[in-house]
Amino acid sequence: MIWHIFKKDWKLIWIFVAVVAASQAITEFVLAKARVSDDSPMITLLAQNLPTGMIFFMMFLIAAIVLLDAIPGLRQDWLIRPIPRRDLLLEKLLFTVIAVEGPIFLANLVLGLASGFSLRSVLLVSAERVLYLLFFLVLPIFAFASVTKNMTEAFIFACGFAFLIAVFGTFADYLNTNANRTLTPTLYTGIGWMGELTRFAIVLVAAAVILRFQYFFRKTFLSRALVFFFGFLAFVSLFLPWRPAFAIEERLSPDPAAAKNLSLAFHSQIGRYQPPSGVNNSMYPGEGRDADVFLPLRVSGMHSGDTLITDHGEARLFGSGGKLVYHGSIFGIEVDKAGLTATGEDRHQKITLPASLYKQLQGQPVQAKLDYSFTLFSLSKSYAIPAIGGDERMPGVGWCQTKLNDAGTAVTMKCMMAEKGPTCGGIFLENPSQGTQNPEGFGCYPEYTPYSARPLDDAFRRWVARVSFRDPNGLAKYPVDGPQLPQSRLVIRLYQPLAHFTRSVVIPQLKLGDWQPR
Amino acid sequence: MIQVQDLHKKFRRFEALRGLSFSVPQGSAFALIGANGAGKTTIIKILTNILEPTSGRANLLGVDSRKLSPRELVQIGYVSENQDMPARLTVAEYVDYLRPFYPSWDRDLERETLRQLRLPPERKIGDLSHGMRLKMALLCALPYRPKLLLLDEPFSGLDPLVRDEFMEGLLKQAGEMTILISSHELGEIDGVATDIGFLDEGKLLFQESMAELNGRFREVRVTLAHEAAPPAQVPKDWLGLQAMGNVVTFVETSFDEKRFGEFVRSRLGEVRAINSQPMSLRSIFTTLARAARDSAAA
Repeated sequence: MIWHIFKKDWKLIWIFVAVVAASQAITEFVLAKARVSDDSPMITLLAQNLPTGMIFFMMFLIAAIVLLDAIPGLRQDWLIRPIPRRDLLLEKLLFTVIAVEGPIFLANLVLGLASGFSLRSVLLVSAERVLYLLFFLVLPIFAFASVTKNMTEAFIFACGFAFLIAVFGTFADYLNTNANRTLTPTLYTGIGWMGELTRFAIVLVAAAVILRFQYFFRKTFLSRALVFFFGFLAFVSLFLPWRPAFAIEERLSPDPAAAKNLSLAFHSQIGRYQPPSGVNNSMYPGEGRDADVFLPLRVSGMHSGDTLITDHGEARLFGSGGKLVYHGSIFGIEVDKAGLTATGEDRHQKITLPASLYKQLQGQPVQAKLDYSFTLFSLSKSYAIPAIGGDERMPGVGWCQTKLNDAGTAVTMKCMMAEKGPTCGGIFLENPSQGTQNPEGFGCYPEYTPYSARPLDDAFRRWVARVSFRDPNGLAKYPVDGPQLPQSRLVIRLYQPLAHFTRSVVIPQLKLGDWQPR
Repeated sequence: MIQVQDLHKKFRRFEALRGLSFSVPQGSAFALIGANGAGKTTIIKILTNILEPTSGRANLLGVDSRKLSPRELVQIGYVSENQDMPARLTVAEYVDYLRPFYPSWDRDLERETLRQLRLPPERKIGDLSHGMRLKMALLCALPYRPKLLLLDEPFSGLDPLVRDEFMEGLLKQAGEMTILISSHELGEIDGVATDIGFLDEGKLLFQESMAELNGRFREVRVTLAHEAAPPAQVPKDWLGLQAMGNVVTFVETSFDEKRFGEFVRSRLGEVRAINSQPMSLRSIFTTLARAARDSAAA
């Protein structure tokens, strides 16, 4: 009977489905234009806003499909018909997946193939997006809509739910700030995918339980309570503790032995931190609400060509008698021994303390313990593309095109990928005929998901790099500048994670006042 | 066919049904009558498992209403004034949709009922008038020849012509069906119902066959030889007793032709004439409703 009910729903809602499908096609088209060739402000604006609008549009469509045969209520004719509930539920799920995700899948498939990607990679990213949307959007909204009578009620409930999320979010933010940002350690980090997978698991269990109670037993009150319960559980998953999550990531390291010899130690001979000129003094002790101290550290055991980034860091200070007087997260250190601008291995670890606490502790001996979770990267691939008019396909980088920006100050490279984007990379201009190179721009976006990262808006990754060769103010001079561009090329270097690991530094005794910046 | 035992239903603090028990024999046409808010619709919603009882049991076709499955639902027809069907489907499309769910669906009967009810197959359900929607509900309830037909206020808001068409359509196909009909339109139940249950504020005041009910209710007018005065103790079977001049009127609720004259004389004294008339269902209902209201006020 699934197909029979499907045909009935199609008759009732095909116009809405067609409108959403057309909107999805337009959105994909705009994204495709913005990805590679079009810089117009209108296309950019549409590319930024249409995907979010589509999410809301899809939410309405999912709710509309479910509410064609609403579960709560006393007047629906279908309730007294011998319609097998299992068939009805499966039909709704099938219809939702086809109507909401089908056009997205098709659009991604067509655009991916039209962009010259292989059928296998396009199928993979399109399927991955469909799966992601299923957990992120379809199942939660489906379960949510099943506990409402009609669209008005669904809208009111959604507003109430959004309000609760905002209240909880504000409350969590307040708690997190009070706990020096140690309560939601995994959020927006490279291992944030574990919290995300936890939430997907919660969504799956919630949908299974709620839909079973609704479709087979019509327990609307209980199901509504469960919506809030699982919503709360998803909220709690934001507080996923760092240590166990990172321990899993350590086990997933491609080459754990690579970091075996890497060590980190307090090295007082490095001396106090010298801030760069022009920095606002209000960040220093006594001037504001916070006070910064900089502890000198030396990293050793890194190979040339490696890059080290901190995924997470926490500082603890112990007063007399070993009493914990401060616990907070720290922006960790980064050591780049790769590329043209490789830096040394000495670093200062900044710790931001409440000014009142600093004043109280600055003259006293304290013990400090710094806990780090690191990822070590090594150079994996290197490519070159003509600086102007380049059009190349590079594994791990994607399909890229280069051109001069409108101001004539930088080369813009736009890339589109049918796979997960690079985590760390460097890019610079090089003129091989003259042997000159510009400084390398280096950046990391720690993201260790085993799947393509968050393909909510778009199945394809796209990224843009702007490489300057002229300073409009005339302050900086580049070795490779405008006239050399026709003979120059952009060099792209990709770095892949080798090992995730932890290190701790214990400083038995120090005076915070000794480590103010100069 | 239907057994209801000690059924309670609460909506928060409001008790819609208060320990209701009744049974509907197979092949009967059971009319559940009562004023608005008496609990008629609540019972039918419980019987169809649209609502769950707070306590008690309701069995249909030998199954607890809470456990009704498609196996039982193919044998149950349901017509209600509050029945939401897909407004954007046409009459024909919705009938086409329902047909495969019922193995016993009779297409000839469907065509016959459609013709008899004079429903336009191409018109969208959302564009049908109230009366036409009720006929539509009947069209969707009859062609599979249900063993049990539940009609919830089926005459509400129907004009006489549509009502006649509806009743004609129903009675022609009634056959061996057991019918439970809830209504406060008593004129329409007269001549249809074989059994009746009178519901007041969630309680069933009585249940009996129409024949017995018609037999025991009489509108009585007694002309006395003297100035009438109400007896010191009014028999409990006499309702709405009034005295004016030498005439006493009341409703006898346990009429027994053989003993009635003698009993009246024993209570009222010398009697010149006794005139007892059978009552319409409407009059019986009105009398009982007034008595219930008066006793509640007392």
